[in-house]
Amino acid sequence: MKRRIDLLGSHYTVTILTRPGETHMTVDTEAPRPVAITKVTDTKHLIHMGENRAQVQMAVKGNMAYIRAFDRTFVLGIVNPVEQAAQETGSSSTTICAPMPGMVVEITAAAGDRVAKGQPLMTIESMKILTVLTAPKNGHIAGILFNPGDAFDKNAVLITLAEKKEM
Amino acid sequence: MSEITKILVANRGEIACRILRTLDCMGIAGAVVYHPVDAATPAVKMAAQAVEIQGRSPVSAYLDMENIITACRKIGADAVHPGFGFLAENAGFAERLAEEGIVFIGPLPDTMALMGNKLTARAFCMENGFPVLPCVSEQKTGKAFTAAAREIGVPLLIKAAAGGGGKGMHIVHDFHDLDTAVPLAKAEALRFFGSNSVYAEKYVASPRHIEVQIMADHHGHVLHMGERDCSIQRRFQKIIEESPAPELAPDLRRQICDTAVEIAKKSGYRNAGTVEFILAPDGQFYFLEMNTRLQVEHPVTEMVTGLDLVELQVRAARNESFSLTQDDIKTNGHAIELRLYAEDPEKEFMPATGQLLAYHLPRGEGIRVENGFAEGMQVSAAFDPMLAKLIVHDTNREKTIDLALQALRDTLVLGVTTNADFLMRILSHPAYGSGRIHTGFIPLYQAELLPPPLTQEQRSLLLAAAALSSREFMDTAFAVPEPHAFFGNWRN
Repeated sequence: MKRRIDLLGSHYTVTILTRPGETHMTVDTEAPRPVAITKVTDTKHLIHMGENRAQVQMAVKGNMAYIRAFDRTFVLGIVNPVEQAAQETGSSSTTICAPMPGMVVEITAAAGDRVAKGQPLMTIESMKILTVLTAPKNGHIAGILFNPGDAFDKNAVLITLAEKKEM
Repeated sequence: MSEITKILVANRGEIACRILRTLDCMGIAGAVVYHPVDAATPAVKMAAQAVEIQGRSPVSAYLDMENIITACRKIGADAVHPGFGFLAENAGFAERLAEEGIVFIGPLPDTMALMGNKLTARAFCMENGFPVLPCVSEQKTGKAFTAAAREIGVPLLIKAAAGGGGKGMHIVHDFHDLDTAVPLAKAEALRFFGSNSVYAEKYVASPRHIEVQIMADHHGHVLHMGERDCSIQRRFQKIIEESPAPELAPDLRRQICDTAVEIAKKSGYRNAGTVEFILAPDGQFYFLEMNTRLQVEHPVTEMVTGLDLVELQVRAARNESFSLTQDDIKTNGHAIELRLYAEDPEKEFMPATGQLLAYHLPRGEGIRVENGFAEGMQVSAAFDPMLAKLIVHDTNREKTIDLALQALRDTLVLGVTTNADFLMRILSHPAYGSGRIHTGFIPLYQAELLPPPLTQEQRSLLLAAAALSSREFMDTAFAVPEPHAFFGNWRN
């Protein structure tokens, strides 16, 4: 099993190899080491790796692992390289996602509109700062998913764009 | 004595819970209003009655005074506790309630209008001989404003007259920046506070924020409950507050508290309020503003005085005369409040959202928790990103800091980024420990407050935890052991 794991802005390729009786982990080009995980309670886990061990508190949702250890809380992204490759070659539509949580202030385009690259589409407010979202490319607006005054979370899809149809 | 039998709490979250708790102890029925996004919150569950309100956005539902008045009529509430934020400092709201014959638990509308506006409040203090920082109001325009600003000298702080919470504030170190900072501050002030009135004030570098809790009845008794130091701030907003203020000379403490009482008396103040001061490094203190309401950090005062401020607010509102005297108010030990925010200290404190996959708050002797969330709940961007407040109390400051660190170690929030680890690093910093705190603490020690780099072993253990987090690799220690799934695939 191979995964790309994102931790504190760096990407690591982690390979887990399981044989009867033992599991080994390889990080990038390091030598494989035996690893094990023991669940103590719903969130508490013991991690063993070679000679080292640590108690961590952990919750997993989707592709994210939230881990508290060493007096800190970490968010790790777990990416399956095969699935990611499939997704990237998939659809031709473009989404405009929220760069941070906030609220919609103004919408300056409507569904069905033809828009040009760089055209302002929506003004959002986050942390009391206004940001204007513009069209990343030429196309037409397939959908605007929020109304003025609506709150949204980080990475929420705000607007979907479809490719401009060829004449 | 005005009869108060049912109180509507026109608020949400932890403060609604906190007010309801006291009302319950006093045998007064407590009700809340709620927007549908808050339907599953602890406050709605705790309240004897809950009235749904609507609005263009969740925040505007709580800001709509007619919503609150309609809810009062519907359930027969004879008083409103506004909590803090929303309508708490809106003199027009207090007037509207009076017209309806509903008691507003707070000061008189006129006092709120006078003391709630920073410009009129500081003018009032100046007229009455209380210390204020030199300032120029933007009623002077263009050249007159710039000339007056030059007279005061840089650095200057541009502030919104109707502002609060650190929004719309700009520091100007160079007069050339004045022309850009003023319009920017005005635009922000208009957008966030509905008024573009701003002023420029002399900026004191590295000051302490010292504030005094005031409580007054309707019979002329004005008491103070000691001071709080709220110097640990990020983006002009408090994140750690404590009482008593560390390293404050007894004489200076007395002077500051007495000045606060005099200001409140002079303004005909009623109910709970806070007089905020800037304490300069040279020991001079200046009136900053007055908050005409209960404050977020009021629990630290309650912990050291043993008083229930909400109870005193209700008693004042029903026209009781306080039998409590200033000499009766004694402080005991030290208390620290930690504001647990859904935000990322490593990304300029940007608010964080998500689902609370794990949410455990600490318990124990000397630990008080004010909380409005529960595990599984979604933290959205619709409201202020504060999740909970942890208030700790012990016999002295050193022990209280240790208890605060313990409380944070026992706190577990997974699924939403919080400032819990950052708070631990502040509390562990030697300058904090020695009480050398001021409002520039966080920017000054920015580098030292960063988390230490991970060791290679720590990094590998974290990667192992994430890689093995799928159930196939999990060996359950205490539950019935499941057989290892040696060749299991990733399961979503």
